[in-house]
Amino acid sequence: MDTFVILIQYTILYAIPLMIVALGGLFSERSGIINLALEGEMIFGAFIGALVTKLIIAANPQLATSQWLLILGVIISGLSGGAFSLLLSFSAIRAKADQTIGGTALNLLAPAIVCTFGLILFNSEKVITGARFVIISSQYSEAMQNAMFNSWFGPILRIMFDRLYLTTYIVIFLFIALSIWLYKSKTGTHIRACGEHPSACDSVGINVVKMRYLGTTIGGALAGIGGYAYIVACCAATAESSVAGLGFFALAIMIFGNWNPILIALGALLFGFLKCIGVLSSQISFLSTLNLPMYFYNIIPYFIVLVVLMLSKRKSGVPKAEGIPYDKGAR
Amino acid sequence: MKKNLILSLACAVLVLASAFALSSCGKKAEIAVVTDVGLLMDGGFNQGTWEGAEGYAKANGKTVQYYQPANGADATDADRITAMQTAIKNGAKVIVTPGFLQAAAIETVAKENPEVKFVFVDGWNFGPEYKNVTAISYKEEESGFFAGYAAVKDGYTKLGGTFGGGGTNPACSRFAYGFAQGANAAAAEMNKTVEVKISFKYGSTFGASTELATQIAGWYSNGTEIVFACGGSMVQSVISAAEATTNGKVIGVDVDQAGLSDRVLTSAVKGLAVSVEQVLGQFYAGEWDAKLADKTQNLGAAVDATGLPTASSSWRFATFTKAEYDQLFAKVKNGSLTIKNDIADNCDDVEFWAAVNTACANANISLDK
Repeated sequence: MDTFVILIQYTILYAIPLMIVALGGLFSERSGIINLALEGEMIFGAFIGALVTKLIIAANPQLATSQWLLILGVIISGLSGGAFSLLLSFSAIRAKADQTIGGTALNLLAPAIVCTFGLILFNSEKVITGARFVIISSQYSEAMQNAMFNSWFGPILRIMFDRLYLTTYIVIFLFIALSIWLYKSKTGTHIRACGEHPSACDSVGINVVKMRYLGTTIGGALAGIGGYAYIVACCAATAESSVAGLGFFALAIMIFGNWNPILIALGALLFGFLKCIGVLSSQISFLSTLNLPMYFYNIIPYFIVLVVLMLSKRKSGVPKAEGIPYDKGAR
Repeated sequence: MKKNLILSLACAVLVLASAFALSSCGKKAEIAVVTDVGLLMDGGFNQGTWEGAEGYAKANGKTVQYYQPANGADATDADRITAMQTAIKNGAKVIVTPGFLQAAAIETVAKENPEVKFVFVDGWNFGPEYKNVTAISYKEEESGFFAGYAAVKDGYTKLGGTFGGGGTNPACSRFAYGFAQGANAAAAEMNKTVEVKISFKYGSTFGASTELATQIAGWYSNGTEIVFACGGSMVQSVISAAEATTNGKVIGVDVDQAGLSDRVLTSAVKGLAVSVEQVLGQFYAGEWDAKLADKTQNLGAAVDATGLPTASSSWRFATFTKAEYDQLFAKVKNGSLTIKNDIADNCDDVEFWAAVNTACANANISLDK
């Protein structure tokens, strides 16, 4: 049972950065800008978030476990991810440059920034914050602990409240709120329309340039938050020049989810579940007796992606104007 | 026209910024440090080497410069060769190269530049035609042994260890082998049986990952009390898994990592800085041909190159005392206690650990593969 709880907890911890970063990619691409820079935006957001966290903890060591500091870190990483993505949107919208090359440049730039400023500031390519944001079962009241370990719904309580990083609930809230906003609000609809038919939008008075900047910036902010959520939960809140390729993985999830938030969330959970079950397969008794190599579990999600892509060829959700710079003069 | 100008300016800024950050500037320096794949200030292996070289240079008025091969963690032999050639162009007389991955690059560049000396840290000598290469290797099995022994003596009975390099990095494999032997030796003295889990699964690139955190969280929830995190950034994922439990502890590696978290019980350290400083001293004293040329120094407790940190801020054991440690250390130092180091070429191998398990009567050693 314990391993099962761990499996679900880490499935969620795996899926959280993936889904929010994939949603960031969706915001950008729905507005018409291909965003290959998710990895770089994650690295940059996590770096600035960790930097601020570190400086605050250095001045007030008692804040190392403060949830308010975590929330501040999320806000800072979101702002910095959004600011960093302006490099992409500037090159793609204002300079009308090739968007895949712009995105790749950002992916190269972010790790270089981390190494350079890490070395200048701390003589280390890492930003070791010393923060400890996790909330564990022993921090709850005795009654709650009793319920967690001695009742039939204990495992559910533990999945929800033990080994808890507040980033999980922040991300879930942002994911739902922004998905609804993108589909139901006026501005959200405008953003999506600019990814499909920008000249039609222009003809009814929608500012295509503004909408595309907005979509890419929200996308960058979400990627930055995803980067911070990743380092908080899985790297002892230490930022470095890598996020283990999660940005590219999120890109795959976005495509797997056919540019649709619900499918993205399901895809991220599925990927996370299969990754974690592969990791834990040797520790779960009925799986270890099957004696399948972990690679078997790792192959499944990619296999599913291939099948889904083949089946969904006709109704692909890819925004039609994606990747094409908007030129007012062209008709 | 204006559009193109803005575009090319933006591109130029991006390219310049990345070029500036990734390659060091072409400053003249006699002592060069060329890293293999990891970053310079990795809080471990490369950092120890660099601090040794930098320390020597500062104390003796020499110039020192580091070079990181292009492509970061995916650097190839060609990238390392380029980095070494750049170092020579910038006037390097001696190149310190940490990491066993450097072998092929050193062989190529050392042959072309017989007047430049190479210090191959964690490596080996190449034979009489390579008089300009000297090697330092460490008895990591001793450090691993101390860590495993200390943990069991301190009351831990369920140990785990996750190691970098995927089983093919000899240094990490020796750490693992020594760790298992140390746990067994302490258990035998205390007349009990302990459990040791070994894994090379998620450390092939020495990086932190959700996978590694998940695996170690699983270990802790199945009863493992302390995990030896042996390899670069892997320690971050192990610490995050430990901090999500009530009492999970961590053992650090290479340098004293007590500062990373209060969950770090101790660290299996390797005296990189000291030994690099010593070799550079011998080189500048004109002792290269007599003491270093085509030789490998295998450093261990005998010269204080392996051990556990004993500063009071890093000594976090509950029952294991400094006196006990000193006694053990003295035995290893004077050679009355030797630790086996006959590792397999690839230690991610069930049969190898089954053999170790048979040899260790007081430890149940298993490989999580």
